[in-house]
Amino acid sequence: MSRGFSITARLRPELVATITATVAVIATLAVAATLLALGGHSPGDAFAALARGAFGTWDRFVSFTLVRATPLLLTGLAVALAFRARVWNIGAEGQLHAGALAGVAVALLLPGAGAVLALPITLLAAAAAGALWASVPAAMKTEMGVGEVITTLLMNFVALFLAQFLVQGPLRESRGVFNQTDEIPAAAHLPALLPDTRLHLGFLFGVVIAVTLWLFLTRTPGGFRIRAAGASVRAAEVSGRFSVTPVIWLSFLASGAIAGLAGWIQIAGVTHRMYEGLSPGWGYTAIAVALLARLHPLAVVVTAIVFGALSAGGGAMQREAGVPEVWVRGIEALVILAVLTADRIVQGMAASRD
Amino acid sequence: MTDLAALSSFVVAAVGLAVPLGLAALGETVSQRSGVINIGLEGSVIWGALGGALGALAVGPYWGLATGVLAGGLAALVFAGFAVRLGTDQIITGTAVTIGSLGFTGAVFQSRFGATGLALELQTVPAWEVPLLSRIPLLGPAFFDQAVTAYLAYAMVPLLGWFLFRTRWGLALRAAGESPEAAHAAGVPVVRTRMLAAVFGGAMAGLAGAHLSLVHTGTFAENMSAGKGFIAIAVVVLGRWRPWGVFAAALFFGGAEALQFTLQALDADLPYPLFLALPYVLSLAALAGWFGRSRAPEGLALPWPR
Amino acid sequence: MTAAARLDSITRRFGHVTALDTVDFELAPGEIHGLLGENGAGKTTLANILGGLLVADAGGVEIGGRAVDLRSARDARALGVAMVHQHFSLVPRFTGFENVALFNGEAWTRRGTATRGYRSQVEARARELKLAVELDAPVAELGVGERQRIEILKALMSDTRVLLLDEPTAVLAPQEVDGLFAVLREVAGAGTAIVLVAHKLDEVLAVADRVTVLRRGRHVLTEAAAGLTARELAKAMVGRGLAAAGARGAGWAAGSEGEPPSARAAADAGGRAGQSEADADPVAVLDDVTVGSGEAPALRDVSLTVHRGEILGIAGVDGNGQRALAAVLAGMVRPDTGTANLSEEAGWIPQDRSDEGLVKDFTIVENVALALHGNASHRRGPWLDWAGIADRSAALVDEMDVLAGSPDARAGTLSGGNQQKVVTGRELLRAGELLVAESPTRGLDVQATRAVRARIVELARTGDRPPGVVLISTDLDEVLELADRIAVMVRGRLIPVPPEDCDATAIGALMLSAGSTGDGGHGGGGNDAGHGGGRAGREHTT
Repeated sequence: MSRGFSITARLRPELVATITATVAVIATLAVAATLLALGGHSPGDAFAALARGAFGTWDRFVSFTLVRATPLLLTGLAVALAFRARVWNIGAEGQLHAGALAGVAVALLLPGAGAVLALPITLLAAAAAGALWASVPAAMKTEMGVGEVITTLLMNFVALFLAQFLVQGPLRESRGVFNQTDEIPAAAHLPALLPDTRLHLGFLFGVVIAVTLWLFLTRTPGGFRIRAAGASVRAAEVSGRFSVTPVIWLSFLASGAIAGLAGWIQIAGVTHRMYEGLSPGWGYTAIAVALLARLHPLAVVVTAIVFGALSAGGGAMQREAGVPEVWVRGIEALVILAVLTADRIVQGMAASRD
Repeated sequence: MTDLAALSSFVVAAVGLAVPLGLAALGETVSQRSGVINIGLEGSVIWGALGGALGALAVGPYWGLATGVLAGGLAALVFAGFAVRLGTDQIITGTAVTIGSLGFTGAVFQSRFGATGLALELQTVPAWEVPLLSRIPLLGPAFFDQAVTAYLAYAMVPLLGWFLFRTRWGLALRAAGESPEAAHAAGVPVVRTRMLAAVFGGAMAGLAGAHLSLVHTGTFAENMSAGKGFIAIAVVVLGRWRPWGVFAAALFFGGAEALQFTLQALDADLPYPLFLALPYVLSLAALAGWFGRSRAPEGLALPWPR
Repeated sequence: MTAAARLDSITRRFGHVTALDTVDFELAPGEIHGLLGENGAGKTTLANILGGLLVADAGGVEIGGRAVDLRSARDARALGVAMVHQHFSLVPRFTGFENVALFNGEAWTRRGTATRGYRSQVEARARELKLAVELDAPVAELGVGERQRIEILKALMSDTRVLLLDEPTAVLAPQEVDGLFAVLREVAGAGTAIVLVAHKLDEVLAVADRVTVLRRGRHVLTEAAAGLTARELAKAMVGRGLAAAGARGAGWAAGSEGEPPSARAAADAGGRAGQSEADADPVAVLDDVTVGSGEAPALRDVSLTVHRGEILGIAGVDGNGQRALAAVLAGMVRPDTGTANLSEEAGWIPQDRSDEGLVKDFTIVENVALALHGNASHRRGPWLDWAGIADRSAALVDEMDVLAGSPDARAGTLSGGNQQKVVTGRELLRAGELLVAESPTRGLDVQATRAVRARIVELARTGDRPPGVVLISTDLDEVLELADRIAVMVRGRLIPVPPEDCDATAIGALMLSAGSTGDGGHGGGGNDAGHGGGRAGREHTT
């Protein structure tokens, strides 16, 4: 009988998610191993070297893997939040640049007396700039009905060129040699999180934001609305009796703000100056980070570390196993495709059960 | 006179930069008209560049163009296999294809030529000077002293205009992009149409990539697509999803990029990154309806069957 | 003569619902065949099978005397079967001509240069069929009648043996209906067999040669229209449903004129009148409410008063403004003109339970939270009181007898009946003053139907200050069984039914009528259900 069947066929979504992710990761490893073998490399050596590079020593893990995970963690959270509300924010890259620029500009222009407040003020400025950058596509979506996929993508380019313009012109270093800004004052540096490592407070910020987002999404009325609007606009409006427009604004702006923080935190914690090409595309990789975490903020911490490890281990893979570092990006893509496929298969099974 | 020379070199550079953008964007126009937004276009461009380089090394530059087309089309086939056939999210799938393509082309390149980045020298596709037309002052050398890829781009404009707006296949393709339900009800095979359109878009992007390696630079370098696939998507928007508009928009984007070099050459102290940003701002303005309404196909990025 | 099409013992199921049960259907060339039935009777499913959009689970299809295997609309078209849908069949941003060309696989040019021939063919065909069509404007800019004419034209451009029309008159104004029928007669006269899916009796009788009635997926009758009356048809359409609804229903289904079918409803109303008068405070008052504009606004000058403790039944064929009425009563839509005096929050059981009533990916608890999350009593500071909401949900699962492993079961995994119990239970939480129930038992099995109805009745009948209930249903039995007063929605107007007319035939005639535009001719003489209804004469106090 159908009723009995639907009960026995019911699985907890978390369980389904875990199974899908596991299957996807295994599939990825299998495909990657095959490709590596085809490319004349030893998959075992490659994976081992990658693992050593990422996790081999405490310092490798903390100073490389976790440091590289930090911008991915923040942008991943930004994307996850937006996607939860079904806001397809492809613009984390641009929002990251907006935040980086605002943070640097404020840090450089702040009078010396403001040193104590340098960090809070610059963090605020970065978040505000990221949100501002997101507000353009948000307004176009809610006021004009223009889809955010294309607009956020376009805004990325505008941000990139704006950054180029600023580091070549108004914010260019006083020496005038390279296209980069002056070093930010020490007061605006993010302190180290662990002594004698390169890991800075930014990682902790990321974790705190992840926990906050998780609590917000699961425990508060506002977060509940984001989840409801993301799951079904019509059900949210008819059964939840709320308008989704403010929900879209909230998630768009918050997403932009977090992505903005990512940019500035990278500068305040690692580079201490802004230059062209600050981001190797974190805002795009973030989509994979968020997706692999199935948009769950706490899981984003894990997946960001996984991607951070891929990035940190890539160098070792090249040195020790002779596998070019670029393979790492290929593996990232395989992860995304595997998760998408596993998702579709699970959906297909669910649909055929209904 | 120097001004004229500068202007002339600017126009030449603008057209040169517009050609790969135009090729990729014309392909993406067809893809988007069928309802598929391919963010993985960047992947097709880089595969096209590498495929072109390998083909040129193995056989010759013209064959290189063909292998570039093939490589770009195959990358799009992977994308479409997931995003259209399997129905995964188009945006995320496209992102994955771009990331993976940049990675795997690098891997293939390094395994073939080593990681040292020795500059690869390729035999380039020569320019063909069109008699008479190339003598038109200013525009002649720019438009009519180009490699075959440029002429293919020019030819594609009226051809695609005719195809999209004058043929039953174009009508069916646009219907799949506007309203897959209605297209399906009218007997249009929506999935097949979208697959073909996406692969065509990838093939055109592959040609654009081959142009980069075999016409523009004569070499291959990792990441040499440099965002051209993404830019092509913006070109489609500014061109309002119409071949002629897309062609004009590609010239505009190319011009903005060329201005950078011209200004550098002239030593003019102008903020050229702002010129580079201008086409994107205008694309946004176009979407916002500031000069006439520019609207994406209504079924764009929507999966079918739902 | 060879039949234009024949369906032989067709069965089609959707999940555990049998939409068609061994149904036979035959279509003669050149006839207009009315296919009648209530919502859910299976008539659209039948048409879709003939049109190639659905494949039957069992049974055979013959077209032109040849057994065929229809796998797609394309297959059907190749055999000369064309279908005119209500929805999704025109590309909104294409012009009329583009749509005609698309459907017929023809090339098109904006100025008609390359295919001038086809353009003139289209124009010629339109003239031949006396169809006034606008070919050069995007169809999104056209009115419904114009769009429908393009639908018909595009279907009839090629040789068509069978033309299927799914509820073509539902969207049309009366004069447009006459025009449509003239076209259909023209088309049938040329030898095309037409299937007219409908639920308006007099329309079908006006134009059809033969009529087939389906009821709950089964074939009831096929007869020449000339020998039938609207009353007989109404009976055939609703008959068995009443037997299932109970003894009273069976009574009037059998047509026992001696006992007015509305006896109980009337008695209820009378018996409860005293009590109701005592606390005659209205919980919702609409005054001359109009929603939408143009020729066919969703609601047109609707006035009604809902009183505490009563069930106001609103009968009507789908798509006559019920949706807008529910949205206004639930406070989701503001009237464009007129006033709505409503309580703060109302329960609303929406018709589309799986897309609007529930978030399928949410658990039962989360779905209950849709109603409670805005409620101060379910917050602890900034936090949602999940423990409290979970308790309420557990109680709800218990009270409503929801068959689910636990309140943490995802709604999407529940059967339709259990989903509806969750929605009902949740909306009862909100229904302190008013509950709007839209076809609350559609598609449910007998037990779930009984449970949901019982809860709604209980809600209105118990407590010191029971809420008022507005029961909007396309199921006439349900309205007759539950409601104290009845009104009918036709084309956005609300027509009150006087108590003495509360029998299925009268109401059926009213709701199935092609409808004058609602003023006059339908008893009552006005549109104010609150004044003209079962408790005529009582004033509402606002």
